Amino acid sequence: MKDKVLAAPLNGDLDAFERKIPHLSNALSRRIDADPESVQQGLAQLVLTIVELLRQLMERQALRRIDGGGLTDEQVENLGRTFMELDRAMEELRDHFGLEPEDLNLDLGPLGRLL
Amino acid sequence: MIELLAITDDPVAPPPPLRLVPAGPVAVVVGPAPEGEVDAEALWDRESLLEDLVDERALLPIRYGTRVEDDAAAAAAVVPRGAELAAALERVRGAVEVSVRAITPEGEEAGDVGAVHARLSGLAREHARHDGPEPLRAAYLVDRAGVDVFVAAVRELQQEHRGLSILCTGPWPPYSFAEPR
Repeated sequence: MKDKVLAAPLNGDLDAFERKIPHLSNALSRRIDADPESVQQGLAQLVLTIVELLRQLMERQALRRIDGGGLTDEQVENLGRTFMELDRAMEELRDHFGLEPEDLNLDLGPLGRLL
Repeated sequence: MIELLAITDDPVAPPPPLRLVPAGPVAVVVGPAPEGEVDAEALWDRESLLEDLVDERALLPIRYGTRVEDDAAAAAAVVPRGAELAAALERVRGAVEVSVRAITPEGEEAGDVGAVHARLSGLAREHARHDGPEPLRAAYLVDRAGVDVFVAAVRELQQEHRGLSILCTGPWPPYSFAEPR
């Protein structure tokens, strides 16, 4: 695995950056409701949130691999919870629009909004 | 079901199981859709694939989880946007994304992220500032040959701005610059 850290902070405290990773539940607090006007906004927000989440997960993985250590129990638990929230949010979206999982990709604009 | 990974215009076939599906002036890099749940390991695997590809060709990463039925559906999704995707490839050709985040360490006064961003933007082809909890979360599209100079600038800025903790990661595929205009 390639080292993804090009320049680390002076104090070498990479953990401080990890703590800045928001929980998906916070980011999704304004997710889709019954108001049709908010649907598009909700979709856009969800897509952006997921993209940002993926990006941050990749960064975190990169940092972890450099430290050479595994994740702490708490981090593993947080990660698991995050993915559960992600699953649930996607499921709600599908229920709301009556879409199949495959449709969801298309509906959110494959290639319409590249990552 | 196949998964779409990236848009490219390089005719060289990617390593299996990835394949190239021609789509007008560009081509789509596709692979078998992974089974099972999304987890960090799956994301990282995908990132590794993209990184290997981006080392050798210009590419636009496609949003994670984009799947279609078959090659014909992949081409059908891309062909109508061939021209703008080709233009987008020109924008990122020869460049990589470098991510910079800056936070204020506990007990320090907030540093001047505006100055940091201005200096780094001057060294990048393009830049994109993202919303986030940090005072600065930004992506810079940097010429491959200019990455060392960019990183040296980040180190200098870190020395000059003791009120900031600056983390610079990369090189990444051009995630923040993949959207056609």
